[in-house]
Amino acid sequence: MSQDLILANASGRQAVSPHRRIPMSAWLGILVTAASVFVPGALGNQYWTYTFTLVTLYVVVAIMQNILISEAGQMSFGQGAVFGIAAVTAAVLTGLHGQPFWLSAIAGVGAGLVLGALFAAPALRVQGYYLGFVTLSAALVFPQLLIALDNITGGVNGVPAYVMSLATPIYGSITPLSILTVVAAALALLFHAVLPRTPLGRKMIIVSNSPEAAQALGIHPGMIRSTAFLIAALGTAVAGVLYVPLVGFVGPTAFRVDFSIFFFFAVIVGGQGKLLGPIMGIWLLYLVPNVFLADFSHYRLLIYGVVALFVMLVFPDGVVGSLAKWIASRRSNVEKVTISLHDALRDDDTRPVETIGQRPLIEVRNARKSFGNAVALSGASLTVKEGSIHGLVGSNGSGKTSMLNTISGFMPLDSGKVELFGRDVTRLAPWRRTRLGLGRTFQTPRIFDRLSIWGNVQIGREGYKSAPGGNEIDKLDSQAAKWHRQDPSLLPHGQRRLLEILRVMQSDAQLILLDEPAGGLSPEERADLARLLVHFRDRLGKTILLVEHDLSMVWNVADEITVMETGVIAATGRPHEIKSDPKVRALFTGGGDA
Amino acid sequence: MSIDELALILVRGLGQGAIYALIGMSFNVVVNSSGILNFANGALLILAGVLAYVLLPGSPDWLVWTLAAAGIAACLLFFVSLQGIVTLFPLKSSVEQHSWLVTTMAVSVILSAFIHLYGGSLAFRVPAILQPVSVFGLSTPAAYFLVIALAVFWFFVIRWFYQKTFTGLAMSAIAQDLDAAKAAGISVKKIQLSAFGISGLVLATTGFVGAPVINISADAGIGYLLSGFTALVIGGLGSNVGALAGGALVGVLSMFAAYRFGGIYQDTVTMGLLIAVLMFRPEGIFGLAAARKV
Amino acid sequence: MLEVKGLEAGYGRVPILRKINLVAPKGEVTLVLGPNGAGKSTLLRTLAGFNRPTAGSVAANGQDITGLAPEKMVDKGLRLVLDGHRVFPRLTVWENIRLGIRGNEAELETRLKDVYDVFPVLRQKLDHSASSLSGGQQQMLALAQAFVARPDILLVDEPSLGIAEMLIPTILDFLKRWASLGTAVLLVEQRIDIALKYADSVNVLRGGEIVLSGGDAAALSKDGAIERLYLGD
Repeated sequence: MSQDLILANASGRQAVSPHRRIPMSAWLGILVTAASVFVPGALGNQYWTYTFTLVTLYVVVAIMQNILISEAGQMSFGQGAVFGIAAVTAAVLTGLHGQPFWLSAIAGVGAGLVLGALFAAPALRVQGYYLGFVTLSAALVFPQLLIALDNITGGVNGVPAYVMSLATPIYGSITPLSILTVVAAALALLFHAVLPRTPLGRKMIIVSNSPEAAQALGIHPGMIRSTAFLIAALGTAVAGVLYVPLVGFVGPTAFRVDFSIFFFFAVIVGGQGKLLGPIMGIWLLYLVPNVFLADFSHYRLLIYGVVALFVMLVFPDGVVGSLAKWIASRRSNVEKVTISLHDALRDDDTRPVETIGQRPLIEVRNARKSFGNAVALSGASLTVKEGSIHGLVGSNGSGKTSMLNTISGFMPLDSGKVELFGRDVTRLAPWRRTRLGLGRTFQTPRIFDRLSIWGNVQIGREGYKSAPGGNEIDKLDSQAAKWHRQDPSLLPHGQRRLLEILRVMQSDAQLILLDEPAGGLSPEERADLARLLVHFRDRLGKTILLVEHDLSMVWNVADEITVMETGVIAATGRPHEIKSDPKVRALFTGGGDA
Repeated sequence: MSIDELALILVRGLGQGAIYALIGMSFNVVVNSSGILNFANGALLILAGVLAYVLLPGSPDWLVWTLAAAGIAACLLFFVSLQGIVTLFPLKSSVEQHSWLVTTMAVSVILSAFIHLYGGSLAFRVPAILQPVSVFGLSTPAAYFLVIALAVFWFFVIRWFYQKTFTGLAMSAIAQDLDAAKAAGISVKKIQLSAFGISGLVLATTGFVGAPVINISADAGIGYLLSGFTALVIGGLGSNVGALAGGALVGVLSMFAAYRFGGIYQDTVTMGLLIAVLMFRPEGIFGLAAARKV
Repeated sequence: MLEVKGLEAGYGRVPILRKINLVAPKGEVTLVLGPNGAGKSTLLRTLAGFNRPTAGSVAANGQDITGLAPEKMVDKGLRLVLDGHRVFPRLTVWENIRLGIRGNEAELETRLKDVYDVFPVLRQKLDHSASSLSGGQQQMLALAQAFVARPDILLVDEPSLGIAEMLIPTILDFLKRWASLGTAVLLVEQRIDIALKYADSVNVLRGGEIVLSGGDAAALSKDGAIERLYLGD
């Protein structure tokens, strides 16, 4: 009971809650990194202190790359160039123009941010391996430009840059620089650890997983991707700037395309998405060829390639990832969490709405859309009244999915009008329609395994304008406490569907679109679903548009039903009216296809 | 700029463009049958060039040249088929359907590393089989013409292959409707492997014939990879006609840029082209690829 | 003969089919009717190896073929004709059929004679591209491609979909004749009116479960029982 109280008192924002705990692996990573630098430092071993400081800088970049790949889902090879431009800028300003380092550092970080922003632009338009090619070409071109613009950059010869204040040891071989580096790595690790639990982190995961689901949750995918690139650029640029006083020299050969590939491989080899992955990856790919096989340092590239290939074939989850899986498989006490419908159907919930209103919440007029020769909608019109459950049925190819996509904004029309809540939204992007108060579920439940169950419900609220009043999740049940710790990966399909519906329920959406929610549900689960929909309408006053194949369910719960056929409306009316219509019966049991 | 210079740029540009087009065609045959873009294509091209350097004596005669060609073709056929097995293998079981990106990239890195170990970062010079040709009074390596002919040759051979052989027919079928091909009992994995093999043959001949005018050095692979990909994107992924058209465009434009601004800007221009096309017309001129996923 | 016992399957995590038991005997047309979303295509795709079942077994002539890849299924004598009259659009009619027999060209001519008797239009359009054919003709082509493979078990997914009305009897008739040659034909259809008269036995699939098994087609077509099952009255 006490846990319910804590939740009820929480403001719903970044409250300090026991569920924001930072995982052990993050602390382990910080410890290991600090030890790797400070232990040899304290012992006065210059070589190892230098080596591990450099490695730690690379770890910072790898963490940023990890965030880009796993949280934001971006195949970017651009981090090497961002690192390089930050380092070169700082080196040139300090080394060639004698500026104080703190100023050069700021300029360097700025340069890195600019380049990072430049990567964000194509990421808005292209995805997947196309983005990989674009960023790879930038990584290729960057050192070439450094040489070409040699009057600014020092060209092939590079730029020497010393920063005595940072590079002078204060104890043993520990320099202020090495301390700064460890701090940077610690901050990067902590940031990555905390990120998935913040609204921004959640949004990144959603956007990378399913841009459509993101839009349906009121998130603008482009903005989130750009933010991810900027954040990654910031961290990488800081590391790049710190490179200058460490090495004391910056030349174009340090930032060739292999450099960018190196970071990508390090993340994959270590295990993408894992907190300790970047550390493992960099240590493996840098220390082994560069240090332990120092005689064979020209085999460095060969070793990167072979290790990456080997890991991809044998440990596709990376070294840390496979280890984590193995450990998890030994643990047999998996806490069973179920989502129970009972809690969602509390009777003490809000005002009952008795009658169906007259105000149309959805008004589609004469919608037309074709894709070349295929006609999706051919002058279809639909009205859904406030406070009703409206069923939309029809065979495959009848246009009901197109209708749904038109209403939610995923399919712009050739002609016709769409109005939501009385507003013309015909040209409005999906995420903006969500913010008006529209919620939607998908044929396959968009449940994100990387978020906790709680996170999956919470994102329903985060896309909307902040809602006044209490957080209804708190009232849900004592299970909610467990939801913070559990991820949904073990939930069976029926529960995932329920989770998705709970998310919609917790949002501010007044208008809910359901896309074949009964698919894959057992008869008992379907009965529960039907009861849930009625509860939404009667107790919570929601308006529902239900696209379904399960005719008996639709006829049981709907106030009004629309039947579609080949892109137009074939019939619309109250359930009992339509049911006896022989034309309608024929549509489902026989009758020609055009 | 004089007519002579323009002609020079045009000829050399088309020659380079033919190389990019051939790389594009080797991408296409694999992409059409399995959706995989082989990131190692650039390195494989360089490998063929290195083998040419190794096998060809100072002034080769036609017999030696042909034998060497056959040898290199066989070598790459074997190697790329092996790569195909390695690339296709994890796709069966792995949840991660993008493992091919890393595995092909890894092969690219490994190949470049071997070439680096063999000869450092210097460029290998491969002797020409034919004397240079005079174009508008300016001496032009014959290899440029040979490689243009090779591009046309492979274009028709691949077309013949798709239309007249059973394997080619099956490969074409897979590209048109994967499920229907499976339902017809076509062994998809075997065909996909053959596709890798064919791409190896294309790259082998390109690297060999074009060796005198290719920058055969360990670091040049990625540049060719990107130019070949850009040619493909401009023409349309999956289309060999597109590869030819795109290759010509990229070749001439980047040659022009090299001439006007300096060779060091060549890749920059290619990158600019790539970004421009992907931002504004990602499906290319002839292709149906969906590069945008928002 | 095809025997399905306790089959369960779905897509990813979504369970679609539950406890499916089915028998398709040699020489008969076994009909599976069902409304939209019932799982008909999922059933055929699972049987043909496009989908791994999560439980249950599938046997062809006594041999266990559960979960084999589609290519292997064809080796074992099971062939699926996909829904949507799918053919290879850029290949000619001849090339499409050729692919059905996987290289054994000598046999092709003899087997084709039977096809030309029923579908003469295919012979006329032999070197036209498949995309130039009408929907109904494409369906004939898809069936011809399967026919030349001489499968023991044939699975056909909604052949009437997207086809001109007048062609449907020709196609279904062909299936009946095909069955009489000794093939076990499992026919999935949505439309009750047309399919019933060609079937030897009827099953009804709804919501992923068989709600009517091995019924007598003639008897059922009379009293509208199937309609009621569809609409869940």
